[in-house]
This record gives sequence, C-alpha cells and structure tokens, in this order.
Amino acid sequence: MAAIKYVNLYFKLISAGIRAQMQYRFAFIMRIIGLITAYTGTAVTMWVMLYQFQVLGSWTFFEMLFLYAIAILSWGFCVILFLHFRSLDTYILNGTFDRFLVRPINPFFHFMAMKFDMASFGQFIFSLIIFIWVSLELHIEWSSGKVLFLLASIIGGILIQGGMLVLISAIAFWTTKSQQFYWVVMYPARNLTNYPLVIYPKIVQWIAAFVVPFGFVNYFPAAVILEKGTPFFPVSIGYFSPLVGLVFFMIAYCVWMLGLSRYKSTGS
Amino acid sequence: MPKFHVYWIFTKKAFLRSAVYRFDVWSRLGSNLIFLLMWGSIWTALYAGREEAGGISFQAMLTYIVVSQFLTGVNGAGTPLWEIQEKVRTGDIALELMRPFNVPLRYLFADFGSVTFYIVTALLPIYAILFIFMDFTLPTDIITWVSFIAAAFIGFLIRYCIEMSFGLLSFFLVETGGIEDIFYFAMSLLSGSVIPLWFFPEWLAKIAAYLPFQGIYYIPNAIFIGEIAGGEILLSIGLQIFWLIICYFLLRLVWNRASHKVVVQGG
Repeated sequence: MAAIKYVNLYFKLISAGIRAQMQYRFAFIMRIIGLITAYTGTAVTMWVMLYQFQVLGSWTFFEMLFLYAIAILSWGFCVILFLHFRSLDTYILNGTFDRFLVRPINPFFHFMAMKFDMASFGQFIFSLIIFIWVSLELHIEWSSGKVLFLLASIIGGILIQGGMLVLISAIAFWTTKSQQFYWVVMYPARNLTNYPLVIYPKIVQWIAAFVVPFGFVNYFPAAVILEKGTPFFPVSIGYFSPLVGLVFFMIAYCVWMLGLSRYKSTGS
Repeated sequence: MPKFHVYWIFTKKAFLRSAVYRFDVWSRLGSNLIFLLMWGSIWTALYAGREEAGGISFQAMLTYIVVSQFLTGVNGAGTPLWEIQEKVRTGDIALELMRPFNVPLRYLFADFGSVTFYIVTALLPIYAILFIFMDFTLPTDIITWVSFIAAAFIGFLIRYCIEMSFGLLSFFLVETGGIEDIFYFAMSLLSGSVIPLWFFPEWLAKIAAYLPFQGIYYIPNAIFIGEIAGGEILLSIGLQIFWLIICYFLLRLVWNRASHKVVVQGG
C-alpha cells in the first residue's frame, strides 16, 4: 500500500512543478529547441566524421545514431527523475536540504520528486525521430521480443545513469561538493559512451563494463539489437543491462542513505 | 586609450583567485584529459591502422587532436559564459557598469590571469609529458613555433569576442538557450576543433572558410602540424586578424547597445 501512496504523492508533487514551468512557456520552448539543436549538433558531427571514413570501428553512421539515440532516450528519463541530485551540494550549503528531513516521507523520495524537468521532451522528440529514421534505414525488424528488450535496456540505462547521479550527489554528504563531480566524471563519461566502446583502450572498456557500467546503457544493448560483435565481451552481455541497472542503483541508494545518516546540517 | 595598468590588476587578482580554487583546476584538467582520450581513440579508430588518409599522416592527425585539446583547455579556462549571464539576470552587472572601466576588457584581462594559472600549473606539465612520451609531430623551426603561438593567441581573442557577444545577448533575451546551443555547435564543429576542415564535405568546408570560427582552432592546429606552412602562414594569420577586427566591432556594438538597455526586472 505504501508504494501506491508514494506513486500518488509523486504525481501530486510533480504536477505542481509542471504547472510552475508552464508559466514560462517561451523559456520552455526555447529550452526544448536548444536541446534538440545540441543533440542534432552531435549527430551532424558524427556524420561529418564519417563522411570520408565511412566506419568507426566497424560501426556505420546509422548504427552510431542508433547507439546515440538509446543513450539520449534513457538520459531524458534520468533528467526528469534524477538530474537535480547533482546539485545536492547547493541544498546542503544553503541549508535548504533540511526541509526534506522534516516531512513524514522518505527523504530520498521527497528529494527525487522535488523537480520535474519538462524540457526532457527535447530528448524524447529527438530520440524518437532518430529511432524511426534508423529503423527505416537499417531495416530493423521490430519483433515484440526486440521491443521488450529495448524497453528493458532503457530502464536499465535509466537506473545506471540515475544510480551514478545518486552516487555523485551522495559525495556531497561527506565533502559538500557534488555538482563538480558531475562535470568531471559523469559529463565526460556520457560523452565517451556516445561512441561505440570498441574504439577505446581495453582498460577503458573494462571500466565501462564493470566499474562505471555505462557500457550497459547503450553499447551492449545496441550491439544485441543490431547484431554487432563486441570484442572482449560475450555477445549476450547486453541482456544483462536491466539487472546491472537494478544492482547498481541499489548500491547507489544504499550509499546515499548511508551518507544521509551521517549528515549534519550546515546550520546556515 | 585604456589605462592598462588598471586592467593588469584584474589579471593578477584572477591569477591569485585560481590558485585558491585549486580543486577547480584539477577537475577541469581531468575532464579535459577524458575528452582527449575520447578524440584520440576516435581518430585512431577512424584511421584503423592506415598510415595516412587524405594526404594527412596518422601521426600528424593525432598531433592535431592533442594540440586542439590543449587549446580547448586554454579557451575554456576563463570566466564561464553563464557567470556573466547570471550577473545580467540578477542585475549585479549594474555595479560593474558604474565603475570606470570597460567591462568586456576587464573580463578579458581577468581571463588572462586565470588562463595563465591553468596553463602553467595544469595544462603545460601534462601535455609536455604527453609530447615527451608519445610520438607526435613537433615543429622543428622557431618560425612555426612563433606563428603557432601568435595564431593561438589571436584565436583566443576571436573566441573571446564572439563568446562575450553571445553572453551579452541575455541583455535582450531573458532566455538564450536555443541560440546558445546553435552557437556552441557551430563553434565546436566549424572551428575544426575535433575534425579538421580538410575532412569536411566540400560544401561545408566552404561555409567554414567564410566564417570566423576556423581562426580559433583550425588555423593554429594546422600551423602546428605544418599543414599550413610558408607563405600560407602569413595569409592565415592575416585572415585571423581580419576576423578579430570584425568580431571586436561586433562585441563593441553589442556592448554599447546592451549597456544602454539595462532592463530593470525588479526583485
């Protein structure tokens, strides 16, 4: 029953946020245009890159687009649910984090439901267009099994990237810094995984598979759907994406709760 | 004529300020190196074992990317754009407008300070080690070195003028999101920072050739690896200076308009 209560509460909390954002309609539309432009920019860069060379480590332009679209789609959900975790340090420093502790609900949940960024529609529009375009170009046959697999991997991707954001924010409990770690660790890591992992040195591939499991966000699942080889890794590794996401997110959640238990207000 | 000793103080202060925020310097270097790894791997995979492509040797291409990533670090070490926009939004910029100095020039000189700190303490040591241990193309004659440094410096100024002009757009538009993204995309692709102009499709290379962005990365990088050599160096630097003058007047125009249009938003 508690779960249903929380789901209801989540929608109540975010609907207030959505109404607030819709007051600034011009800003909202500008941000969506901005996001789509930025993602299209990266796609155009990929196209220019492959104009002369045709393949990047056996991946063609459309295959790379597909890889990119998976990352963007799961990132879109991440932005809605978890992106604001990176600024936990600001809340702690300003003392505004304390308000999440004095309510009769789980502080992690409360902090998560605090914000709902509507601009992630930009991510959804972009990735859906790419999915359709690439499916037509590469003649991907979307059997129901494949669709289910794609959805499951996207949930896995959300949990992995969300878990990473939660871990980064947890650092703030110890060091009162988190935003910067996002820009040093996560932002470059996300950019790295926009390209097929196979091009990186072996050690980087291993890290992306077993330490910071970003490889499971898009590379391994995309390799399964496009039936591409993944050197150094078994082909079926992509199927583990949801499981990896679940485990990784649980670890992140526990670390966050551990950090919370030793949190002392800055008292400002 | 501006009094440069006044601005010089901003340079010194910014230098000292960077020394305090050392964590920022290290984190910025960390992410710069990850992007170097990314682009290095991408170009290695694109060449796929070939010695040369399109007349450019693999070694020269890798050098191009390393130099480009170094200059990206240099260009990114100044006052971030959002900080200036935040000042415009909160109205703090009004305080700067009251003071007897030229605001764009003041920020430029402050950038000299923070950039110098970043180069000396972080970028130069790491990239020097890279160049010692890896097999990159180093210019052998002093003229190439001098013209590379000159071109990189002019490129820095061009980038500053363009970026500042865009930052000041927030005087006119409260939300600059979309425009900014187009700008950053143009800057990263058309400047040749990650893909040299000679690998572009012909039509795109033509567009890039008529825009100022190539002066930021492409020209200094190409001089470094000797792709632009001899008399072409003078021609390229001349082109850079031409664009610098235009971008400078653009910045002045935007700044004059902006400082007369301080919108009071209350609050």
